[in-house]
Amino acid sequence: MTLDNLILLTGRTINQGVALEGGKTTKENVRAAGICTFDRSDFKKLDCLAGTPVKVITDYGEVIVYSTISEEGPHPGIIFIPMGPWANQVVNPDSQSTGTPTFKGMKAKVEVVKNGRVLDALELISKLKEA
Amino acid sequence: MVERKTRTVYDVVCPFCGTLCDDLEVDVSIKENTVVEVRNGCQIGTRKFFSSNPSDHRYTSPLIKEKGTFKEVPWEEAIDKAANILAKATRPLLYGFASTECEAQSKGVELAEILGGVLDNTASVCHGPSLLAIQDVGAPSSTLGEYKNRADLVIFWGSNPVHAHPRHLGRYSDFVRGYFRTDGRNDRFIVVVDPRNTHTAQIADLFIQVNPNEDYELLNAIRATLRGVDIDNEEVAGVPKEKIKELVEIMKKAHFGVIFFGMGLTQSISHHRNVDTAICLVRELNDHTKFLLTPMRGHYNIAGSNQVFAWNTGYAYSIDFSRGYPRYNPGEFSAVDVLLRDEIDASLIVASDPASNFPAGAVKNMFKHPLISIEPHHTPTSVNADIVLPAAFAGIECEGTAYRMDKVPLRLRKVKDAPGQCLTDREILEKLIEKVKELKGE
Repeated sequence: MTLDNLILLTGRTINQGVALEGGKTTKENVRAAGICTFDRSDFKKLDCLAGTPVKVITDYGEVIVYSTISEEGPHPGIIFIPMGPWANQVVNPDSQSTGTPTFKGMKAKVEVVKNGRVLDALELISKLKEA
Repeated sequence: MVERKTRTVYDVVCPFCGTLCDDLEVDVSIKENTVVEVRNGCQIGTRKFFSSNPSDHRYTSPLIKEKGTFKEVPWEEAIDKAANILAKATRPLLYGFASTECEAQSKGVELAEILGGVLDNTASVCHGPSLLAIQDVGAPSSTLGEYKNRADLVIFWGSNPVHAHPRHLGRYSDFVRGYFRTDGRNDRFIVVVDPRNTHTAQIADLFIQVNPNEDYELLNAIRATLRGVDIDNEEVAGVPKEKIKELVEIMKKAHFGVIFFGMGLTQSISHHRNVDTAICLVRELNDHTKFLLTPMRGHYNIAGSNQVFAWNTGYAYSIDFSRGYPRYNPGEFSAVDVLLRDEIDASLIVASDPASNFPAGAVKNMFKHPLISIEPHHTPTSVNADIVLPAAFAGIECEGTAYRMDKVPLRLRKVKDAPGQCLTDREILEKLIEKVKELKGE
């Protein structure tokens, strides 16, 4: 129940946009942006139900998010996390001297963590303050 | 006579995305001073108007954090403390400004200059590379009205307007009827280039699935094919040679083409070089037909912050005032990079939420130092700030100017009063400037 050699993309979704305007610290925001969407064929390999927490690991960090099947497929080998606090735990901060971090196209690995807990935006970000 | 319970404000400009729709109608309860209905807006814009109503996640009075909990304080005390932090800092960061009006942005520039700080706006993490590319090679562009009336080929490259700019397709680029495009969608050919079969791609005439991080290769393959080169490889960036040829023919035959490009180009490897190449492609296409391009700007006034910063300092973003005059160097003075190098010792965040939108390493360093947030809402940034200065929503609770993604300035409207003690971003920055000047003996 682990998938290697995936490419992680991040970006805007309308649900994420609505949730952030509605309250960034709400549960709605977790459901909108604390998710990772998979291509249907990749998701089958994970052998779990949609909504099961998964840990997304890149060279830059890891984060637990809810799994879901992409409506914007097929895109085998590509996973997508909407922009926001969850995605930013695993993106490549290198801006190649442009100021803009490389938010798209990181190599990623995914593990199913059935008992994993998806933190809300405040819990996730407050951990950075404590660190 | 029947007493009116609501009043309607017409032709309201939506302060959400760079499309800056200017046809919203907002009903406001006269008694409660709350938004009760929004017509014509998209899902996100409508939500923004409703979220301006008092709620448990709206700040209504200035707050100072003491022993980990916020305490309500008078404006004077909050401004005093914030100004003290900023005046004492040797390298303060002033960041945000994309979701507020131009008058407040210019006050931000003034404050940064007085403080000798680093000044940056959110273009730094979105279309900054586009600005770099435009500085390198120029950009043939136009206002959105021209595209609406003339474009018969519309290409969305690394951009998903169905999600990010929901009314762009209906107002300017796809379904809308134009002067020369009288049959709307039927008169236009829509192409989407993206690694995912996005919802925009699903309603396009041609979808080109490019490998992630390989836009540069594909753009150059298109340029080569346009010049008559027969590409050696059978596919480039995951796109078959035949499909590239097909796209080039479509481009050449168009009467008026446009490329709308988004984060797919600027946030991938090669950043500004991707945009460079896209602009060069557009320039070369003009040997055959009329072709233009426009960046799909995210925040409603991010284009405005670039304008305001540029006319005040000469530079659009990533500006350092530490030597007393503005210097510009993305990668060195850009917010994420100064934070990653842990260079700053205080930050003032205006109308932005970098804690949510910056990579974790940068956020960690931002939290090490005093943080002041001018913000209407609870956000991961404001909740972790030391001082919160509650702001009115520009474009809902105060007037101002904002620039659309095609750099057309529009006047924002006020539809209702701000709750509690909220002041506008401009008023808050003016108070800070006055106090900082006093502390610095100016």
